[in-house]
Amino acid sequence: MNESSDRELIADAANPLGLDGIEFIEYATSKPQALGQVLEMMGFRPVARHRSREVLLYRQGEMNVIVNAHVAKLPRTVQPVERPVIAAVALRVRDAAAAYRHVIAAGAWVVPAQVEVMELNIPAIHGVGSSRIYFVDRYREFSIYDVDFTLIPTVDPKPPALCDLHWFGIVQYIGADRMEDWTEFYSELFGFKALPDEQRYGILPKGRILKSPDGSFFLQLIEPKPGILEVEPDESLQRVGLGTSDVLATVAALRARGVGFVESEGVHSDPRGALTQSYLGGVMFELVHDQR
Amino acid sequence: MTAHVNIDDFGMDTISLAGSLPAKLAAVRDAGFSQIMLSARDVAGHEGGVEAAARAVHDSGLRVTGFQVLRDFEGLSGHLHDYKVDIAKSMLEMCHAVGASVLLVCSSTSSHASTDRDALARDLRKLAMLAVPLGIRIAYEGLSWGRTINEFADAWDVVCRADAPNLGIGIDSFHAFATKSSLEDLEMLSPEKIFLVQLADFMWQEVRTVEERITTARHFRVFPGEGVHSEALAELVMRLDELGYRGDYSFEVFNDDYSQMPLSTVAERARRCAIWLGEDVLRRSVPLPNQIRLRQGR
Repeated sequence: MNESSDRELIADAANPLGLDGIEFIEYATSKPQALGQVLEMMGFRPVARHRSREVLLYRQGEMNVIVNAHVAKLPRTVQPVERPVIAAVALRVRDAAAAYRHVIAAGAWVVPAQVEVMELNIPAIHGVGSSRIYFVDRYREFSIYDVDFTLIPTVDPKPPALCDLHWFGIVQYIGADRMEDWTEFYSELFGFKALPDEQRYGILPKGRILKSPDGSFFLQLIEPKPGILEVEPDESLQRVGLGTSDVLATVAALRARGVGFVESEGVHSDPRGALTQSYLGGVMFELVHDQR
Repeated sequence: MTAHVNIDDFGMDTISLAGSLPAKLAAVRDAGFSQIMLSARDVAGHEGGVEAAARAVHDSGLRVTGFQVLRDFEGLSGHLHDYKVDIAKSMLEMCHAVGASVLLVCSSTSSHASTDRDALARDLRKLAMLAVPLGIRIAYEGLSWGRTINEFADAWDVVCRADAPNLGIGIDSFHAFATKSSLEDLEMLSPEKIFLVQLADFMWQEVRTVEERITTARHFRVFPGEGVHSEALAELVMRLDELGYRGDYSFEVFNDDYSQMPLSTVAERARRCAIWLGEDVLRRSVPLPNQIRLRQGR
């Protein structure tokens, strides 16, 4: 960043990384076309292909989704299996190198880079389970996808969002008695703050909601139901939440495209939010009322 | 197993036993214990490596009390700090691989380490953050020959300064008795922040010098009730129980004689001590048949 306003980068204690929203969400799957169909139903369009790997970029509005079918030979990495899983979240930050140093000093695990010739080296740390967190600072005047991806010919590279859909948040499943651990982790490394319990969004109010320091998105931590038998804690990024100014209109528009929604006594579409069916063994999207 | 007794709160530690990891696991299980404290040496030196060790532990059916030990971690700077962070990461990965949820960290003895408690706390907080994604809790224990931190009350002070949810204290009776720490100081601890209690007795009344402490701690410990500090051990366990501690007790017994005796003989001695502590001291009742163990609270 060379704008004169950035000549003095005064670190904001409340937002130590200069966090500025989500750059992309990455899914890993060995069936990328099947997930592509689900994403297209949700309004995303395929716009670009990775130069060297089996990776596709989908987009609508400000949201980028990467579908990764490339097998990485690294420990603690999501290996693509049939059921798509959220493998990474890329965060927009003021200065990726500085953000990287900050989180390492605070106790993050570095993911060793595996960069091919002429590709960007995007710094990453380990997140929950096998997932990663990337740091991206080139998103204003320049796009990371210009380097590593080639546009799919004849396709609009900037397809508009359906019903103004935008990133709202990410739901993370955590192990029993792990609420404080993860709250501290996101607070210490990134500056997330827990919302008061009475402040809720959408129709699935369980767990604890953490707000990003720039206020642009939320993390929702959900523990297992109490009283269940001791089991292996299964911690993962479970789903993404999409914000929309009119949930019911968006539900109608998505239904028309073939998306099914959960309509049960406990969970059903209402003006506050909605939940899509689960596709491909676990991919679901939550809609949340959110005026942008 | 002979009679029905409840020794579920107590576990053996592999460092008391000779031989291979599978032999230790079998001896501990056959003596009626349900848990075992593992040492990084067992895992690193296991034929077939960490993965095979993890499988052996899993197949034994024993619950892992914890994993030890990270030494001389806190208070370093520059390249020494970076080196120790690397070591810590390896320990955390091994700890995770064998299914242990507690990593034991002993207070630093290094003359290169800072004596500033806030600096010690800062490093432990970083270690705790490194442990979060792996689901591991850090138990910080004051070694009786630690440079700055050598009593549990001091370790507690550092843990409070660091203020991380997955960082707590580990108490080792040997160190508390060696430094003659007042058991009344246990009152200041929050029971849910005691992540591990290790018990051992020893044969002499006093260990005054640091050299004496190190030698005794590493070669001449005995199981609780076998030495001259039985009463104090009973008092320690009673006080912890009254405080509300419901976690595990592990027998941290380094003993040169035990490490050259048949495993079953040593495990049987440990079992007798566990019965003494469980039945006579804590008066634990025998659980009903088929009782399901629900998720452990933290």
